[in-house]
Amino acid sequence: MNKSPWIFLGVLFALSLSWWGMVYGPASQVNNLSADLGGGDTLKPRVGLAKQGEQVYRENGCYYCHTRAATGGTFGYKIQITQLGDDQKINEEVVGLDYSTQTVFKKAYAYKAVAKAVDSLKAEQGKKAEERDEAKIGDANATLISAKAKAGAHGDDMEVNLKAYGISGVNFEPDMRAQLGLPAEMNEEQQAAVAGARFDITDGTQKWSDIESTVRRLKDKAGAQFKLQPVAKEWPDVQGGAGRQSVLRDFLFDAHAMVGVMRVGPDLSSQGSKIAPLDKDGVPINTREADNKFYKHLYDPQWEGESSHMPPFRYLFRERPLEKDVLAGPREIVIEKEGSSRVAIIPTAKARALLAYMKSLRTDKSLPEAPLVNQPKQASAE
Amino acid sequence: MSENTDNNATQASEAKPEAINASCRLPVLFLFFSAAVWVVQASAAGVLGSLKLHVPGFLADCPYLTYGRMQAGVWVAFLFGFAGNAGLGLTLWMLSRLRGMELARPGFVMAGAIMWNVGVTAAMVGITMGDQPGIAGYELPAYASRVLLIGQALIAFSAILTYFSRRHKQLYPSSWYLIASLVAFPWIVGTAHWLLVETPVRGAAQIPVAHWAVTSLQQIWLGTIGLAALIYFIPKITQRELYSRQWAAFGFWLLLILGGWVNLNSGSPLPVWSIKLSQFASMLFVFVLVAVGWNLCQTVKGVPLIGSEDLTLKFMGVSLASWLVVALYTVGNSMAEWNGLLQFTYAGTAMRQLFAWGFFAMAMFGAIYYVAPRLFGGEVDWACSGTYKWVFYLTAVGAAVVGLAGLGLSYGHGDALTNVETLEVSKKALMPMRIAFMGELAFLGASLIFLCSMACLLFRNCCGECSPMSLIRQCCPAKVEGGAE
Ligand code: HEC
Repeated sequence: MNKSPWIFLGVLFALSLSWWGMVYGPASQVNNLSADLGGGDTLKPRVGLAKQGEQVYRENGCYYCHTRAATGGTFGYKIQITQLGDDQKINEEVVGLDYSTQTVFKKAYAYKAVAKAVDSLKAEQGKKAEERDEAKIGDANATLISAKAKAGAHGDDMEVNLKAYGISGVNFEPDMRAQLGLPAEMNEEQQAAVAGARFDITDGTQKWSDIESTVRRLKDKAGAQFKLQPVAKEWPDVQGGAGRQSVLRDFLFDAHAMVGVMRVGPDLSSQGSKIAPLDKDGVPINTREADNKFYKHLYDPQWEGESSHMPPFRYLFRERPLEKDVLAGPREIVIEKEGSSRVAIIPTAKARALLAYMKSLRTDKSLPEAPLVNQPKQASAE
Repeated sequence: MSENTDNNATQASEAKPEAINASCRLPVLFLFFSAAVWVVQASAAGVLGSLKLHVPGFLADCPYLTYGRMQAGVWVAFLFGFAGNAGLGLTLWMLSRLRGMELARPGFVMAGAIMWNVGVTAAMVGITMGDQPGIAGYELPAYASRVLLIGQALIAFSAILTYFSRRHKQLYPSSWYLIASLVAFPWIVGTAHWLLVETPVRGAAQIPVAHWAVTSLQQIWLGTIGLAALIYFIPKITQRELYSRQWAAFGFWLLLILGGWVNLNSGSPLPVWSIKLSQFASMLFVFVLVAVGWNLCQTVKGVPLIGSEDLTLKFMGVSLASWLVVALYTVGNSMAEWNGLLQFTYAGTAMRQLFAWGFFAMAMFGAIYYVAPRLFGGEVDWACSGTYKWVFYLTAVGAAVVGLAGLGLSYGHGDALTNVETLEVSKKALMPMRIAFMGELAFLGASLIFLCSMACLLFRNCCGECSPMSLIRQCCPAKVEGGAE
């Protein structure tokens, strides 16, 4: 190593290795990432206020105290049956005694039996007059009556009935529904309950190796339809409110990818889901109350009287002191704190942009590479 | 192997050391003095920033001084202000001495040094106005990095002319490191400038690029300059030969190859393969650790470094120890669990501080202690050399406090992050930073003393009558001499 030019070339070569691996490689890989989420849904770039908000976040260096990276963790699988197979025996055997003895399961098969009886009765009644056999009709009727009685024997809990109805996969006429402890006319909520009915046959702590054979048998033997739902096991970020792990595509449209340095404050990757949670159709629910809470926190993180180590960002607001009984203007937000005077604040454009940016940080949509994970607390409440 | 070393090259040089020193005088002193000014800014901003963390309401109505901007400014002032100036100054001096040649084209260096400082100033002003690009650890606005790149190019031009001015002589390992630092800087900053700031790549691609740039700046750019100083001064002052050239070469190449890969957080939103690769690189870093550590330890076997009488050697001892600790931490990052626990805590920042102050600043303070008086000629010494040792004590104590707080207390935070209650977490998060604040105060003290010492040295030796005019008069001949090359 005494030839000067060799040192030069060597240095260039050595540096180019990590450059190739960390700069060129990922950069060209990312260029091929698409915004497609599958199922016709796409990731959308930030526009308007939210886009400006990203700059405010950067300018103020929020990323030194907050990360935007929900990390991965360990999870188990919950097998959720959406529709049971036809053969009760086999299905019972596959799901095991713990689950096949549950009311929902029994009721679902009772509904299936009723549906079958209805079908055969109809088939008999539908025959031409000369082929019709009154005895057979009588039998079918009797079967139906006993099936209905069986269905009735498993309690009369509407929620259970709807779920059983959902996973049985059968369809009743309104008057039949009324006879079976189901609402004749279903409202939206009940329809959703039927459509979204799931019957869990594992509790979500199982590893893949634990459930592999069950999954195979469900598919091949029992003919049931089901979904696999990951459930957080040791997954602090999901237990703390994130819907899933943050992945590269969450930063696809960022002007500046600010993953963050430290977690002096909480991770903000799912802040949008907290301020404006999604409704059933996946549309964020914006409320003035939640917005104002964010503003108040930004103006004075200690506004609720609790100590906080987040610095206040008062300069992002216009403020004026408010006398005791004076009403605030329509756009003003009032902060009253014990031991200090009342103030009315109006968020500046920057504060509003910041809020829009916060709302754009979400982990509540499933990505193929990062499916939504259930929080175990919710799971047990189900 | 050891007969190959040319540690004594400086004695056998063609140009006399006095002539070399004289040729370096003006530009290198300018760089050193600028470094002293910036290091005070860096440490002062660090103290202010930390203060804001502990007293959140402090200066809260001033948008220019938010915590985030202060943090960005602290690192820019340190990295480019202090480390850049001191490192470039030392690079020039060491290269001239190692090659036994007078500094080539000091005029270019002066122009470059002025550009460089203009660049850092622009960056600092920009950050205060909110222009930082959002890359923690890099934070140079586009206009500033352009100026810095030009400034560095001018200085590197002179350094490389000096380097090539003699071809036949054997190269001492320090010169490899210095050349690497000169090449690495434009590469790293250029990449970051073009791919992150000027024409940014897509958001998702910025994450690995930013990590590469930030890690390389620290591990490769700072690392090579600091290690060059260690490898130069430790054998020189202990009057021994470097234990092994082979070890040095092995550590050198591995550092260059691995420096940009290491330390990726296991929780980064990146594909698993790049995280695994980074963990693998961090694991391999153990070879760098051993190569450098073993080599230097064997070199000084039996001679105390930190306990030495010689102040420069003391500095180098702490510097080496800090580098080893940070390298060990890097190796530790190859363990996903350990990294998973510490990744969002103060630990990473603390290790960066330890690297910056414990390793790099220590090496620079020590080297400047040795070099600066020599630039004036043989008989000159520090104005009040008693005070300079306080630079050593304060920096060493500060680095120890920050390092211990960062490593020891961040576990509490990491642990709390795995539970869900927020308030408890931020208390735990701040615990190590509270302690580290003491360390930062020590850094501030050290850098103030350093600045004063530099100022004293300049005024006493440059101007008998203490007038700035005679300072210029004194330094002018140096420029002429150097330019006559
Ligand atoms: C000095 C560190 C620091 C900085 C800088 C900082 N924060 Fe915080 N932030 C915290 C801490 C600590 C908390 C937790 C305590 C609390 O809720 O006040 C927090 C909480 C929050 C929360 C509530 C999160 C939740 O889920 O409860 C939001 C939203 C937030 N910060 C947004 C911001 C924004 C936007 C900025 C930049 C303008 C910012 N923070 C800058 C430390 C910081």
